[in-house]
Amino acid sequence: MSVRVLIVDDSGFFRRRLTEIFAADPGIQVVGTAANGQEAVDQVPHLKPDVITMDIEMPVMDGITAVRRIMAIRPTPILMFSSLTTEGATATFDALEAGAADYLPKRLEDIAADRNVAIRELISRVRLLATRSTRPAPRPQAEALVRELVRAPAGRAGAAGHYRILTIGASTGGPVALQQVLMALPKDFPLPILLIQHMPGTFTGPFAQRLNQMCKITVKEAVDGDVLTSGQALLAPGGKQMLLEQRAGQVLVRIQRPEPEQNYKPSVDVTFNAVARVFPGKALALVLTGMGADGREGARQLKQGGSTVWAQDEKTCVVYGMPAAVAEAGLADQVLPLASIGPGIAHEVGAWIS
Amino acid sequence: MALDPNDEILQDLLVSSREILEALDKQLVELEQRPDDKELLNAVFRGFHTIKGGASFLALNSLVAICHRGEDVFNLLRRGERVVTPQLMDVVLRVLDSVNEMFVHLNNGVEPPPADPALLAQLEALAKDGPAPPPAPVATPAVAAAPAVPTAKDAGTSGDITDAEFESLLDALASGDTTPQKPAAPAATSAAPAEKKPDTGEISDAEFEALLDQLQGGNSPAATPAAAAPAPTKTPQAAPTPTPVTAAPAPVETRSRAAGPSEAAASASTAETSVRVDTQRLDEIMNMVGELVLVRNRLTNLHAGMTDERLTKAIGDLHMVTTDLQVAVMKTRMQPIKKVYGKFPRVVRDIARTLNKEINLELRGEDTEVDKNLVEMLNDPLVHLVRNSCDHGIEMPEARVAAGKPRAGTVLLTAEQAGDHILLTISDDGAGMDADVLRRKAVEKGMMDVEQAARMTGQECYNLIFLPGFSTKAQISDISGRGVGMDVVRTKISSLNGSVEIDSELGKGSRILIRMPLTLAIMPALMVVVDKQIFALPLASVAEILDMDLTTTNVVDGQLVVLVRDKAMPLFYLQHWLAAGQAIRPIPENGHVVVAQVGSQRVGLVVDQLIGQEEAVIKPLGSRLQGTPGLAGATITGDGRIALILDLPTLIRHYARRNYREVA
Repeated sequence: MSVRVLIVDDSGFFRRRLTEIFAADPGIQVVGTAANGQEAVDQVPHLKPDVITMDIEMPVMDGITAVRRIMAIRPTPILMFSSLTTEGATATFDALEAGAADYLPKRLEDIAADRNVAIRELISRVRLLATRSTRPAPRPQAEALVRELVRAPAGRAGAAGHYRILTIGASTGGPVALQQVLMALPKDFPLPILLIQHMPGTFTGPFAQRLNQMCKITVKEAVDGDVLTSGQALLAPGGKQMLLEQRAGQVLVRIQRPEPEQNYKPSVDVTFNAVARVFPGKALALVLTGMGADGREGARQLKQGGSTVWAQDEKTCVVYGMPAAVAEAGLADQVLPLASIGPGIAHEVGAWIS
Repeated sequence: MALDPNDEILQDLLVSSREILEALDKQLVELEQRPDDKELLNAVFRGFHTIKGGASFLALNSLVAICHRGEDVFNLLRRGERVVTPQLMDVVLRVLDSVNEMFVHLNNGVEPPPADPALLAQLEALAKDGPAPPPAPVATPAVAAAPAVPTAKDAGTSGDITDAEFESLLDALASGDTTPQKPAAPAATSAAPAEKKPDTGEISDAEFEALLDQLQGGNSPAATPAAAAPAPTKTPQAAPTPTPVTAAPAPVETRSRAAGPSEAAASASTAETSVRVDTQRLDEIMNMVGELVLVRNRLTNLHAGMTDERLTKAIGDLHMVTTDLQVAVMKTRMQPIKKVYGKFPRVVRDIARTLNKEINLELRGEDTEVDKNLVEMLNDPLVHLVRNSCDHGIEMPEARVAAGKPRAGTVLLTAEQAGDHILLTISDDGAGMDADVLRRKAVEKGMMDVEQAARMTGQECYNLIFLPGFSTKAQISDISGRGVGMDVVRTKISSLNGSVEIDSELGKGSRILIRMPLTLAIMPALMVVVDKQIFALPLASVAEILDMDLTTTNVVDGQLVVLVRDKAMPLFYLQHWLAAGQAIRPIPENGHVVVAQVGSQRVGLVVDQLIGQEEAVIKPLGSRLQGTPGLAGATITGDGRIALILDLPTLIRHYARRNYREVA
């Protein structure tokens, strides 16, 4: 059965272009178009689309409000179209927080240099989102989970204090998941943190700022030469790779240009591998929601060195791709629902939730 | 890079952007009045944003660049991080001009060149949270124009219009040559560096012919050179884009909304409910409908002598169907007058800013629909009239306050359909016109003697301003006042079979009324015979038909007049004009007089015979007749003969002026 798509955009020009693109794919059927958020909200209950593509800037009702309303009346995977600007980043994160599943740059050239590749990417995102008919289940009570975790045997690596670093990789659905995980960490979190979120270069800066405002720990976009510090999370800048270097008793972050064959910029594998080399057996690594399999090979390196790897569970993933790759390769020590991850980390490393 | 103008996506962008650009034009002007209106700022932001999105889809980088910066500026504005200032508006309006220019390029299938780097730099400066950049140099030319004024004044007012000049001007208008205007033109240009293009705003008969040729498919060899001329001026509006497309999204959405849950699943596509049609194709259809009307007329004519009931019925049906078809085809060519009216907020805003006046523009009936070609041809005359109202009509704020009026003047533009006509009005609450000043002026210019002038009613005086060379503004400005404009406006409107007149009240304001036919291709006409030839008189110009005793005429000021309901009306024999060279036949005692309404004037025209009303399908004149004053075209009559269509206002002006100058 084909994927039923509702297109929401105030530009008739864009509605028609998107309709053309989707119409060319036999697996997708455009069941309706809406010129603003209100029209979309009105149409969703009876059109019952599998996926909604949503513009942000619209008259009458903007895309973010529309996402919030739609998620309240009939949760549907929503793909946001964003402009790759600071302004666009903020709006996109708001939309994701409101419940949108994913986003793509509005300019096809920003998705991929080759237009046909960009169109294929757009179509595959829509089809993939359609496989998730509903949103993650409402988060369970965090405290109950903590108690559960406390009862569970602590990480096999042993006592708190064993870990030297926490690293988290995520892709589709990651911004919201990361936010939830990091918000659970206390201000005096005892480890440095490295974050790898697949994201365009113009988005990582605003994303780091946003996380920094929301979390008790410090979050910043990594700059070449940053020193790893406890309680500080460094977010890999988009379009680059984040590596590590040991120098004079300190560990520095090295930001490098990606190699041409590297698909993901930043890549979870690249940073995980670096962590595995610098902190053998002393890392706690997390693979959160995301499309594809980035992180699996890095997790393999980490595991071989004796580090611990956790993966997000299928139920709470927006896209169960990367965590699935890790779990199915037998590399995950634990598979956890999103709500348990933050408290779980705090417990694992011996930091208490304030 | 050349673009394929037939590319569907490009056409889609052009059509959808045009609406946005028109809206932006209006929104920006409104913004000056309500600089804090968040909704408005959002709307402008979205306008730039949407055009940028479309342009980036087609990788039109120059367009993306300028829209992107415009978007940035409005993003700051809508977040309240910057405030709207007149300087900022000047820059933003120039940005809009630049974007509009780019669309002209796109319409011509050329990728637009990058915008002026200076403009981009100004925009970028505005998009940064710094102090506003130095004021853009746009606002100054009004001052710079001052030194040039004396010369301009001389050139404009000293020239008594001699008969020879008048003659040559008319000829020039008829042939499309602009040379006689040259004395005025240099002065005007030097006085008006700010004006983007000299507002000659004229249409020559040649252009009208060209239009007709277009309507008829443009096959006449004579038409080709002329047809080429108007094309460039039309490009911004006349791209081969259909009107119905604009309605596209709505029907689709209504349908999908109406579909129930199960039906929605079944409806496999959201196919567009409208189709893009080249206007040329519409013109062809219109032409064929014209031919059909001719055949019908002929059939009706043949049938006149027969009594077969079935034939009567069939012809009656044919008549009905043809009329419906004609109306339906005409409707496909209709566009809202908004296309023209939409740009006036900007025009008025710019004038007000240049002249330091305060002017509110009110638009009513913008959705009134008019034939597409008419919309385009009305543009220049209307711009001229609105400029006039702002420049001559509305007083300076201080003068208004002194006169007990609100500081800000109001210019009101209305449009409505009245039967088979469109009525457009341009009124202002300004100073109005002084009939005595006009009388004096007319005498000064040697157009009439004191007695003649004194006899004119107020209304007749006001309409003097439509005469060539009659400018009452003491000082020539770059906005208006060159004394050719109003004459050209009238010539153009009457060449479109319309009429224009003005009414005024001193101290209260003026009102200009324009009547236009709904379409240019087919018009109802009164068929008459003059010296064995058939002529078609546009019914729009015909007020009434009288049978009268032609011996009861008088001669006043050397002009033959007849009394109709106790009012003197000038009387002319059409045969003197249209059958010149023929032996003048003795004047019959009784005759048919067609009373023509030209502006506010009524003129009696004696014809030999009345045939009746017919739908005249306008055909262009051949090269030999083209440009003949007073002829609007030709048509084929019901019995297959050829009849010339008369352009009564021009005809009367051309032939009657020696004896009766003040006829408007």
